[in-house]
Amino acid sequence: MHALPRTQHLQVVTPAQTDAPLIVFDQVALDFGAVRVINRLSFSMRRGEFVCVIGPSGCGKTTLLRLLTGLVKPSAGEVRRHGAPITGPAHDVAIVFQDYAKALLPWRSVAGNVSLALEAAHVAKSERADRIRHLLAKVGLAQHADKYPGQLSGGMQQRLQIARCLAQEPALLLMDEPFGALDAMTRQTLQDEMLQLVQESGTTVLFITHDLEEAIYLGDTVLALRAAPGEGSSLAQTFEVTLPRPRDQLSTREEPEFLRLRRAAFDHVKDTH
Amino acid sequence: MKTRAIVSSVSVSVSLLALWALIAQLEWISPIFLPGPSATWQSLSEGLRHGELLHLTFGTVERMAYGWALASLIGIALGALIGISPLLRTWLQPTLELIRPLPASAIVPVAIAFIGLSPAMVLVVIAFGAVWPVLLATTHGFANIEPRLHEVGRVLRLSPLAFIVKVGLPNAMPDALAGMRLSLTVSLILAIVGEMLASQEGLGLAILQAARSFRSADLFAGVVLLGAIGFVSNSLLGMAERRALAWKQI
Amino acid sequence: MRALLDRLGWRGWVLPVTLLALAEAAMRINPVESDALARPTDVLNAMAQAIANGSVLSLSAQTLAAALAGLALGGGLGLAAGIWFGLSRAAADAASLSIDLLRPVPSVALIPLSMLVFGFGFRMEIAVIAFTCFWPMLLLSQAAVRNVEPRLLEVARVLGFAWWERVLKLVLPAALPRIFVAFRLCVGIALVVAVTTEIAANPQGLGYALMNAQQSLRPDLMFAMLLWIGLLGWGLGAGLLWLQRTWFRHSLAQQP
Repeated sequence: MHALPRTQHLQVVTPAQTDAPLIVFDQVALDFGAVRVINRLSFSMRRGEFVCVIGPSGCGKTTLLRLLTGLVKPSAGEVRRHGAPITGPAHDVAIVFQDYAKALLPWRSVAGNVSLALEAAHVAKSERADRIRHLLAKVGLAQHADKYPGQLSGGMQQRLQIARCLAQEPALLLMDEPFGALDAMTRQTLQDEMLQLVQESGTTVLFITHDLEEAIYLGDTVLALRAAPGEGSSLAQTFEVTLPRPRDQLSTREEPEFLRLRRAAFDHVKDTH
Repeated sequence: MKTRAIVSSVSVSVSLLALWALIAQLEWISPIFLPGPSATWQSLSEGLRHGELLHLTFGTVERMAYGWALASLIGIALGALIGISPLLRTWLQPTLELIRPLPASAIVPVAIAFIGLSPAMVLVVIAFGAVWPVLLATTHGFANIEPRLHEVGRVLRLSPLAFIVKVGLPNAMPDALAGMRLSLTVSLILAIVGEMLASQEGLGLAILQAARSFRSADLFAGVVLLGAIGFVSNSLLGMAERRALAWKQI
Repeated sequence: MRALLDRLGWRGWVLPVTLLALAEAAMRINPVESDALARPTDVLNAMAQAIANGSVLSLSAQTLAAALAGLALGGGLGLAAGIWFGLSRAAADAASLSIDLLRPVPSVALIPLSMLVFGFGFRMEIAVIAFTCFWPMLLLSQAAVRNVEPRLLEVARVLGFAWWERVLKLVLPAALPRIFVAFRLCVGIALVVAVTTEIAANPQGLGYALMNAQQSLRPDLMFAMLLWIGLLGWGLGAGLLWLQRTWFRHSLAQQP
């Protein structure tokens, strides 16, 4: 995956062009009461691109995801998908939350939780069992289909949430610091599993994280946001990640390009704090 | 030491029973007021086998069960609607809070005024009195759904009805079931009061009549039966509750 | 102005006030001779009269006297037993079966028994209330005592306090907040049982007045009594809650 050169302002493109951006943020601003949390945010995402967003707390990165679900509307500017503004949740937009325990239904089994997404999409009952089995196998929870979320470890619960999101067959996958609450080992395993799943399906991903190395490791592009943008843009800097895929926990992290990006990112963070 | 606890509790109960028998035997309290355990037992077994007691018991249980079932259905349905809508809650909460402290039995005279002395009146009183614990508990359960689950529901684009049924109801079940248990107690009490006041056939009326005729053994037998109804119905509901909330035990 | 109204929760009052206004209007436009319905204004009138001639106050005094006496008796015994069972696991175990057998007896089932023994009057009502208040007080104060930090009890034992000193100086003060919550609950229960007993059998107090009004076909007085009973219950509850929040502000983080 190679990143294309980016420009500050993007043209609206007709859906006919196959390499047209899937998502466009066009001078988006968002207010919380009297405070302008996001200002003049413009970027685009291509189909199949893995975009990571980093930034200090209060920069609005979590709200970014909600703008893409359509549950929150921008105070100014537009968020477009396929050229049209996003008005509400779409069937093929899925979101993975950081607090997985709160996003799962404790009274349904693992299979039951995945089933929820299929039921919501009105998938026929006869089809559901197969698809659930397939999805659980994909995330490695096949043996635990009849367990309850309360019986699973943190990593397994997060996998379950991912499985439920994949049940939506998402074209756009939104992830809100999904691995933040997990230990380092589990985090690395899930990172690689995520990359594989996403590569197979060609899903576009927007991934929020506070972990700079994770952002570089996972992404094709890293967007660094700033808090309290004032009159300027919330987008402080864009990093193109040209590391080869598939990524590897050991070798990729030793690549000179990785180290260069890492240094650049850390410098940026130091400067903006 | 589970066995030690069982042994001690059984021996205490047996001793109390023996004490009761002793007091009755020695007539420290007149048998008009305190029949012995054997007299009570006799009245109980006679009444159940040859007499009316079984029929009367069913009468009371039926009344209690219908009223409770009706109250639970209404309570859960209304509780779901009110609980899930912050708008409805703001408008309705104070009215609910005003009616809540009213003793349910105080509705009896009003019900008599409107409906007259009849089985329907008793049912209405039971349902009205028993609806509050379920309604309030269910409202609480629905009002306190994890906000993250609300978001999940919206992202998955669940219809409002689907959300209530698939997420709201299971989430509110622990609260609702606790409310239903309270409602059961209220239902039994109101069934008895209703029978006493409306002269409806049942254990409530029977013990009132026994008291008026100074038949203390029959009175005690009736009280024992009522206690048994309370015990059994509560245990059954407790078992159902544990099964429904099995996922919580993990 | 808007802010003040918002704070008073004006929205919540719209529904009851509107309904009452509609009822009033409907009954004025369409005068109905009914044994069951009464105009809201007539109800308020009846209440004002009952207050003025002192009847409501003496009736309330009767009901409250019975309720509080029953609460003192049953609740006091329940508290004592609760403290004992809370401190002594052995005693709690020994009593458990007997409690499980006696507790399910519905309070109202004792009304005929109490009538048989005491006839009508205060003693009969107090007996029923005492029985009803005993159980929740027992169970809740037991839980409150169990909740006392075991470390504190160890310290007391090490310091050489006698058992009654432990209870007085340590257990009671530590468990007091939760015991007060139990007390609040039992006051409500005592009032309800008092009114119920008066409705079902005992010819005194507010419950009896309520039944009387219905039987005398005076719906305005009946609703007035009903309203008064509700207000009394609400007032007592609110007052006790205020006390709880004032006295135990720090000990109870958030209590119902």
